[in-house]
Amino acid sequence: MQTRVDPFLAAVIHGALENIAIEMGHKLMRMSYSSIIRESEDFGAALTDATGRQLCECTMSTPLQSGPIPGYIAGILRELENRGDRVKPGDVFMHNDPYGGASHGPDVGFVVPIFHMQELAGFSVTTAHHLDIGALTPGSCGIVDAVDTYAEGLQFKAVRVYEDDRKVEPVWQILRSNIRIADLVVGDMEAQVAAARIGAERYSALLDQYGLDTVTGAYEDLLDYSENLMRDAIAHIPDGRYNARTFIDGYLDSPDPALKELPIEVTLTITGSDIHVDLTGTAPQTPNKPINMPLVGTVDCAVWLTLRSILLDSDVYGAIPQNSGLTRPITIHAPQGCLANPTFPAPVIARFCPGNAVADTVMKAIAPAVPKQVSAGIGNLRVMAFSGVSNSAPWVHMEIMEGAYGGRYGKDGMDAVDTLYANTRNNPIEDIESHLPLRVLNYELRENVAGPGASRGGIGSIRSFELLEDGAVSIEGDGQRFDPWGFLGGADGSPAKIELVQARGATVELPSKLPYRQLSKGDRITAYGPCGGGYGDPLERDPQAVLDDVLDGLIDAASARADYGVVVDGQGVDEAATRELRAGRT
Amino acid sequence: MIALGVDVGGTFTDLILADLAKGDVTIHKTPSTPSDPAKGVINGVRGICELTGTEPGRIDAIFHGTTVGTNAMLVHDGAVTGMITNEGFRDILHIGRHQRPQHYSIMQDLPWQSRPLIRRRFRKTVAGRLDAKGNELVPLDEEAVAKAARDLGAAGVEAILVGFLFSYVNPAHERRAAQIVRATLPDVFVTTSAEVSPQFREFERFTTAAMSAFIGPKVRRYVSRLSDELREIGVNGELRVMTSNGGLATPEMIAERPATTLLSGLVAGVRGGAWVGSHAGTDRLVTLDIGGTSADIGIIRNGRLAEADARSAKIADFPVMLPMIDIHTVGAGGGSIAYIDRGKAFRVGPQSAGADPGPAAYGRGGTVPTVTDANLVLGRLVADNFLGGRMGLDAKAAARVIGELAEKLGRTPEETAEGALTVLNSNMANAIRSRTVQKGIDPRDFTLCGFGGAGPLHAAGVATMLDMKNVLIPPHPGITSAVGLLTADLEYHALRTAFAVKGALDIARLQTLYDDMERELGAIFARDRVPSDKIKMLRQADLRYVGQGYELKIDVPDGPLTEAALDRVWQAFHDRHREEYGHAFEASPIEIVTVKLRGLGMVDKLAEPPAYTVSSEPKQVGVGRCVFRVDDTLETHDTPHIERNSLPVERKFAGPAILLQTDTTTVVPPGWTYWADRHGNVRMTHDNQA
Repeated sequence: MQTRVDPFLAAVIHGALENIAIEMGHKLMRMSYSSIIRESEDFGAALTDATGRQLCECTMSTPLQSGPIPGYIAGILRELENRGDRVKPGDVFMHNDPYGGASHGPDVGFVVPIFHMQELAGFSVTTAHHLDIGALTPGSCGIVDAVDTYAEGLQFKAVRVYEDDRKVEPVWQILRSNIRIADLVVGDMEAQVAAARIGAERYSALLDQYGLDTVTGAYEDLLDYSENLMRDAIAHIPDGRYNARTFIDGYLDSPDPALKELPIEVTLTITGSDIHVDLTGTAPQTPNKPINMPLVGTVDCAVWLTLRSILLDSDVYGAIPQNSGLTRPITIHAPQGCLANPTFPAPVIARFCPGNAVADTVMKAIAPAVPKQVSAGIGNLRVMAFSGVSNSAPWVHMEIMEGAYGGRYGKDGMDAVDTLYANTRNNPIEDIESHLPLRVLNYELRENVAGPGASRGGIGSIRSFELLEDGAVSIEGDGQRFDPWGFLGGADGSPAKIELVQARGATVELPSKLPYRQLSKGDRITAYGPCGGGYGDPLERDPQAVLDDVLDGLIDAASARADYGVVVDGQGVDEAATRELRAGRT
Repeated sequence: MIALGVDVGGTFTDLILADLAKGDVTIHKTPSTPSDPAKGVINGVRGICELTGTEPGRIDAIFHGTTVGTNAMLVHDGAVTGMITNEGFRDILHIGRHQRPQHYSIMQDLPWQSRPLIRRRFRKTVAGRLDAKGNELVPLDEEAVAKAARDLGAAGVEAILVGFLFSYVNPAHERRAAQIVRATLPDVFVTTSAEVSPQFREFERFTTAAMSAFIGPKVRRYVSRLSDELREIGVNGELRVMTSNGGLATPEMIAERPATTLLSGLVAGVRGGAWVGSHAGTDRLVTLDIGGTSADIGIIRNGRLAEADARSAKIADFPVMLPMIDIHTVGAGGGSIAYIDRGKAFRVGPQSAGADPGPAAYGRGGTVPTVTDANLVLGRLVADNFLGGRMGLDAKAAARVIGELAEKLGRTPEETAEGALTVLNSNMANAIRSRTVQKGIDPRDFTLCGFGGAGPLHAAGVATMLDMKNVLIPPHPGITSAVGLLTADLEYHALRTAFAVKGALDIARLQTLYDDMERELGAIFARDRVPSDKIKMLRQADLRYVGQGYELKIDVPDGPLTEAALDRVWQAFHDRHREEYGHAFEASPIEIVTVKLRGLGMVDKLAEPPAYTVSSEPKQVGVGRCVFRVDDTLETHDTPHIERNSLPVERKFAGPAILLQTDTTTVVPPGWTYWADRHGNVRMTHDNQA
């Protein structure tokens, strides 16, 4: 076994690195003001080396925030080089360049360089999704009509917000005057700087204690270690080409056919311990609509995170450090100018849901090779931004509507949960109603819509909001047109749906992309979540499990009979009738 | 006063009988009886009474630590439970925070979905709704409540939770519904969410209350059965049970609030450590209780046990929103397995060989190298003098399994064994850092108190990694939890959600909330027959900057609340925020989210520990070759084996040494000085540190 550092010391240093990232995230979450960070946990925290390779990430952060951090550093270093500038002690950088690693503007990174013996030794980075970034309409999600990245809000390319440890005041003034609800957003940004500084301080102490060479050797070993695990997992998959295609909604209400029902295509080529991922076949970029997904920061993360969740599932293999070593065996190609590799300045701010569709398509492609490690098709998410002006103060509230997983080998899909590359939290109803002119009218599982299978697909939620004052809503979602895919004989799941019931009586079905739309007091929005696909033949589902679903009110007796061939008789299964019914079906 | 402490652990039930005034103490161990824990307790009580010739009738009080509630959660074996909740919100318990516990896993389970505390079929909804200020939007449908109760009763549920939105502001609907349910189903355990924890965040509150209902019937049956059986064997003294907040409660309180016992067993150890420390002259301690599979870490600051913040406490992966002592458990113990994982990295734990087959050294067929094997290979455990010679260790088997691992690593067996201890100690040191350094506490000023079967083996190693100056090993490390039971007061907590913002708050309203809580706790203490001069009420509040989602707990002055008193509270919050996070937002408005009252009913406690007066020369029973890491190189030292109980009081010796006693082994590495203090604690200090 070839390692650079004593394996015992390496284990000690790896533990210390992980501890630092956890502390950063813990403090950021606790200090921050807006619910998108403190409740939804839409933030990232990580340490990188001087070239931007990720060494560790905070286990509480959301994958789509920590994953792109190496890209932020690459973007910052490239930008500084172009300017003939360099990183100096006492700097803190702000960066949200969509084509420079951040992948969309609302995710702003704060980056504290770490110096050891006068040399740049690494970066401590926090990223977070901010409520508002000064775009054309309130809120930083549901902006589905921007024509280019300039319309999406402020853009920061390696902007110094501290120099020589002193605050660069003009920059902070620009932030305060261009961002709605600046108290919240700027407070969160200050919390990000404070948390990143703690990471830098701890990392410096680690370098002082063990020396740069030892720490470097230990993390090089750690990267190799993660790479070994990934290669080992890939090597177990039969070589070959695995292809899948799914579709996203796009703009369902658009008259332009080039803007709706857009294909996402993934071809995986497995050769030994390498995977090449090719997105050729994916729709061309949408020139004036921001659902384009930067290759760096969105598409690459969607691919990496999905493959590792399947091949190195932490429930099966235990916690495996998330770092740049895991991604070494994976190469990705997406033709320039397609949805999955847009050309600047094509707009990108609403790339969240299409990115999760890429993740789902990767899973669909690899599913035949590792059928016991995947779920059937997932239900995608929808993000809503509610806003208004209450007592002459503007307010914005973002809420992420959960999806559901497809059925799995021997297990039903997870119900009403964030899927694949997203893992945020909802906001407590008691928090929302205590602070905002909103009322939550219901929040429960949908009934009689689950995707049938030997393992049933996960069930989506129903959640409704009522406006208690005049306000507005914007929606950025997907998964309303196409059913999540069934697998191995399982039936397809069912799509999402959003309804607006107006106070004056009309009911309107809303598309998954809805630009800022004014609402009146008393208007109600109901989000019906998607249900994941079924896994395996529903006729093979354990009749007892079908009965449980009936007793729990998730499906009715008619569905038990029609979808599963199970005859439910009062509180029990009529076994003879079930046998007969099932025999007649096969 | 004669007091008995009984701590039920997984393997042993530990007992301590004390004449509190005289300080006479007898300890006793008896096997636990997990299927019926009361049996083990009764056996133990009989045993210790016989051992000491004590009439059971002379025992004035029994202090008890139990894991009945905890185990019901851990193995998911509780009551068939029902819930009555708001129309439209049947699945709050099922959806949770819509987040997965693991980021990178397709095959994971969501505990609240795969192991529901209350199945969907038993969750009934009724009309009735309050707004965020507690105003009624929709009146409670009492007829629907009665019908739900009848249906649940017919379905055979044993416990029912009534949980409504905003009950923490206005409990009226919950109370009324509970009244109807109790009238309909008098034999069913009924609780409301606001009764269990009147705090906002519906998923967490409902889950905590669901847990209370889920374990309630079991805990209540256990406590009542134990009381009966104690009376049957002639013990008439009052039964007191340790709760998760580190205090004691009466059987009546436990029957009403069973979820308060969730950490009962674990907390007593930290209490015991705090007591030992206080008599050794230190009120800043890190307790490190190491057993076979896990290490439990507690922090004591200025004599007070650190509390978990309400948002991070979990039992069996479910959130618990109750006051709890902060106990951090890591998978590190004597049975932890050292191995090379799939990615070829060296790891120790969290998998454990457990007690059976256990470490290879136990000679029960264990074939994987564990921490105990590493300790034996390095000479830190003595094969023919383990646990006072009650159990022999198989040195050859230990050498074999460590040797096999060493070969795979290309290292010597000593390097491998020492490496395993380094990694294990580092895991524990990181856990301690997460509770100290990460919260703005410098552990270097703290004393590390090691107990449990393996704490004294590792305490000095862990202390070295953290630069901690002092180590303390209590006289009987194996029964520290039982000791802790005799050192607590009755302690009850009350709280109210306040949402009061600095600058716009109504002092009179806050005063009313505190007065109201004082009356509430006062009534309970009156029921417990605690004389008023023995009652102490401590005010606290959870504060945050307006907009934040996490609060910090601040002490609130006694007496009438005034602007000046509140000013001290605001300043204390800024200071605390800076200490905890390294940053304060001095210009930002502050919000009091929750007001809290801690009520203490002082009871007689274990007095000063008995004096330790040995003055003879230490008894050396052998010498062995022991391997230690000194300045980054491995050194072999001829190390004396000394009977711990022979150490003369207050005479200092230089390490290395191995101190032997019947319930553990203490390792003193080279470079450390050790001695027995006047209470018989072993103390160690590192020579390089002042």
